[in-house]
Amino acid sequence: MKILTSMLALGVAGIASISAARADGETIAVFTKNQTNPYFQTVRVGADVAAKSLNAKILHYIPTKPDSIPEQLSQIEDVIVKKPSAIVFIPVDYKAMVPGAEKINGAGIPMVNVTDRSAGGKFSAFVGADDYSLGLETARYLLKSLGGKGKIVIIEGVKGSLTNVDRVRGFNDALKENPGTKLVASQPANYQRLAALQVMENLMQSNAEIDGVLAANDAMAVGAIEALDGANRKALVVGINGTKEAVDAIKSGKMLASGDYNGFVQGCLGTMIAIRELRKEPIVAEIVLAPTVITKDNYKPYDVALETRACPTWEEGSKMGMKR
Amino acid sequence: MTDTTKILPGGARRLHISADVLQLSYRLLAALLICVLLSLLTDSFLSLNNILNVLRQASLMFFVAAGLTLVVLTAGLDLSIGANVGLTACLAGTVIHVTGSPTLGVLVGIGVGAAIGLANGIMVTALRIPSFIATYGMLWILQGVAYWYMAGETIHGFPPGFRQLGSGYFLGLPIPVYLLVIFLAIGTVLAQRTTWGQEIYAIGANPVAARLSGIPVAARLLLVYTVSGTMAGLASIIFLARLNSAEADIGESLTLPAIASVLIGGTSLFGGVGTVFGTFIGALILTLVLNGMNLLQISASWQPLVTGAIVILAVWLDRMTRRRAF
Amino acid sequence: MHEIALNSPTTRIRRIPGVAVMLVALVVCFAATSPGFLTAPNLSNVLVQSTVLLLLALPMTLIIMTEGLDLSMGAVLTLASLVVALVTLATGSVLLGLLAACAVGILFGVANGWLVAILGIPPFVATLGTLGMAQGLSLIVSDGQSVVGMPIAIQKIYSGTVAAVPLPIWMAIVAYVVFYLLLYHTRLGTFVFALGGNRDALRFAGIKVERMLIVVYAIGGAMAGLAGVLMTARMNAGHPTAGLGLEFDAIAAVAVGGTSFERGNGWLLGTLLGVLTVGVLRNGLNLLAIPSSVQVSCIGVLVIMALFFDGLRSRT
Repeated sequence: MKILTSMLALGVAGIASISAARADGETIAVFTKNQTNPYFQTVRVGADVAAKSLNAKILHYIPTKPDSIPEQLSQIEDVIVKKPSAIVFIPVDYKAMVPGAEKINGAGIPMVNVTDRSAGGKFSAFVGADDYSLGLETARYLLKSLGGKGKIVIIEGVKGSLTNVDRVRGFNDALKENPGTKLVASQPANYQRLAALQVMENLMQSNAEIDGVLAANDAMAVGAIEALDGANRKALVVGINGTKEAVDAIKSGKMLASGDYNGFVQGCLGTMIAIRELRKEPIVAEIVLAPTVITKDNYKPYDVALETRACPTWEEGSKMGMKR
Repeated sequence: MTDTTKILPGGARRLHISADVLQLSYRLLAALLICVLLSLLTDSFLSLNNILNVLRQASLMFFVAAGLTLVVLTAGLDLSIGANVGLTACLAGTVIHVTGSPTLGVLVGIGVGAAIGLANGIMVTALRIPSFIATYGMLWILQGVAYWYMAGETIHGFPPGFRQLGSGYFLGLPIPVYLLVIFLAIGTVLAQRTTWGQEIYAIGANPVAARLSGIPVAARLLLVYTVSGTMAGLASIIFLARLNSAEADIGESLTLPAIASVLIGGTSLFGGVGTVFGTFIGALILTLVLNGMNLLQISASWQPLVTGAIVILAVWLDRMTRRRAF
Repeated sequence: MHEIALNSPTTRIRRIPGVAVMLVALVVCFAATSPGFLTAPNLSNVLVQSTVLLLLALPMTLIIMTEGLDLSMGAVLTLASLVVALVTLATGSVLLGLLAACAVGILFGVANGWLVAILGIPPFVATLGTLGMAQGLSLIVSDGQSVVGMPIAIQKIYSGTVAAVPLPIWMAIVAYVVFYLLLYHTRLGTFVFALGGNRDALRFAGIKVERMLIVVYAIGGAMAGLAGVLMTARMNAGHPTAGLGLEFDAIAAVAVGGTSFERGNGWLLGTLLGVLTVGVLRNGLNLLAIPSSVQVSCIGVLVIMALFFDGLRSRT
């Protein structure tokens, strides 16, 4: 038992000494949903890059169980004890995390909301992409490439999630603009590659002709492409998020396009706003990034390692929002 | 521990086999019934393509569940298989990417899977930790390592030759189906026709009696967990080839369906009863149901409910029919 | 064991359960390395956060002592959490919502007990089946969406205080005392201890084993329902996946606490310590801002270590 105790003590003390190393500037706690979806990694790297250039320190908080609401709530309660200078917050559920946001408000820690707009709580700013227009633009690009006609399949993400509802609504509105197209199926695959692959395999059985696939994220789009490849069938496929994998697939011509959700820039701007507010510099209360569709014509700037990308300057970044 | 087989003296071996055959035929009948029902309900079910499609999906599930069957036969459980598949896929994927050699990747994948299985076996035998807890702890450890190693990235794009393992065809049949037949044969012969297999059944039926009759229980258990890990490693390779990418959570959703396949297949959690072939039929039934729900456009929300009901129904019918069989 | 051996220092240390040593070790480590750890608000945090897990782990201890298992608890909790939200929204009455949630919990508990005791389906299988059903129903009744807009009173169940102590802590204390009395001072408790040992002897003694088993599982369901209410109060929302997987956390906490899977040896205080150990570990690692992936592995190591040291003890 003694050995166990001392082992534990050594271990924890060792880890603690690493984390106790301090930067000069402010400490920003960044909350993301999970450590499995590449999208949130782009946000985290964006935050890291921004903080480094501004000489602040980032602490990442990610639920150990992907998208766990009780765990993110616990992490918020724990972080409040630590009193970071500011918080950059992606709620795992935009409604059920409201009490968490209110707790942060109660502790008087300034907070920037990123990606999923929280249904409650007070935030200094919101940085996000517009899922609806992203879905609409990406679907429009696919339908234009098909000449405004053909049989279309939608692969949905997690039912009821904020991103999925709006993206699919965008898809459907684009379909309505093109009366020559026909939606033959709309099935959820929970943003998961394997699920999308199997859903697509099954859908190909009941539909002899599928011309286009609208997937609500890139992992599902790539899963669908694998299913099509496996059956030796061809269809144009688009996804959303603009992940590295999607960029590679667009480059090699396997995927048509991906709507850029721009996690990297969201992470950059969210962190920049948090730090600017602490330093009493002017901020923008809302930046909803204009939708960009990554295609074979414009993929070049995305085809670099994430860590080597540079954040936009504040001058550029503050003007990246959509005009309404 | 009310399982009837336990009360039986050791001489009931012949009864065992005939009962197993009976159980398997019930299950095949059930699978057939589902097929008939689906072909009546939807035109698209009864096509060659869809049948191959179902077979391929079922074989993926079978690879994960096959090794688990042996563990369950010894009255143990391996909750870490899904996480094992996840981590091994990531490591094997890296090796293929770095060295460009799929062979090396396959070897590393199977090797790492086996090592994880061996570690489970050591915890269960030498450290005497109940398998449920040991492998649950292992699940967290593997997941943590996979998350840390992948850092939210994916590894994707493998050589076309390698991908044939998962998505290719040979003589009109998907390659995973050939692998399925091979491993089904190996598993069945191993479990039913070798002393080694008989010893596993004996350990599951009554560990104390097995030890007293001179069976090296610890060594056999080590082997069984290692085989389970190895099969998880193999499954990760097929998944890698099928999905053409690796990510940290690739196996998270596999564990419970794999356990369900084993149970629907008629293997008893109390050990000593069940077959590897039964597990394949279990995987087939689960896949058929999911396929049918997709074809019929039934909301995915119903999937867990239907799966749960089938598991209970299968095991209940099993108990009823077995009672009669004895 | 001889008198002398009992008094030797090594033996005395061995007699202290692994979970107690680990809890103390963790508290000492975190207190030394993280200034915020040993403060009243933070300790209150740990206790409040641990309540939901404790509400599940207490009945799980009883169920495991009967050589059973309840895998459906997390899913039933989730369903109950949705039911309390939906019923409260529809009727405007928190009380009705509470009752409905407990009713759902008890219903699933009785179903589990019935499947296990009457149909003779192994507990793992029966509750794996009801897990799927509860999870499916959660998705169906909520249509995959969070349910929000309940009266503020529901949030008070989680955030309210009595005598400056948060309500969840009171609930945890009451639940622990009730289970303590139930296990050590009632016929049901005696039965639970006996059942793990020898089921047939009980039957010969004329005890209605089936009915008692159903009661044990029903208690599990009821507690899952109650924990679901607390979960809804905490999120001020019902969510169709909020509690999934909690049953494994509860089982791990029970095992870490020294309750044996095979011999029906249960230890209620151990379960409490097990829950606290998991809570302290998570809280401390968060305070130290340890990367999430390392936290995941730490939990696995904790579970295995606790069982490993208990195994060492039982061998000597």
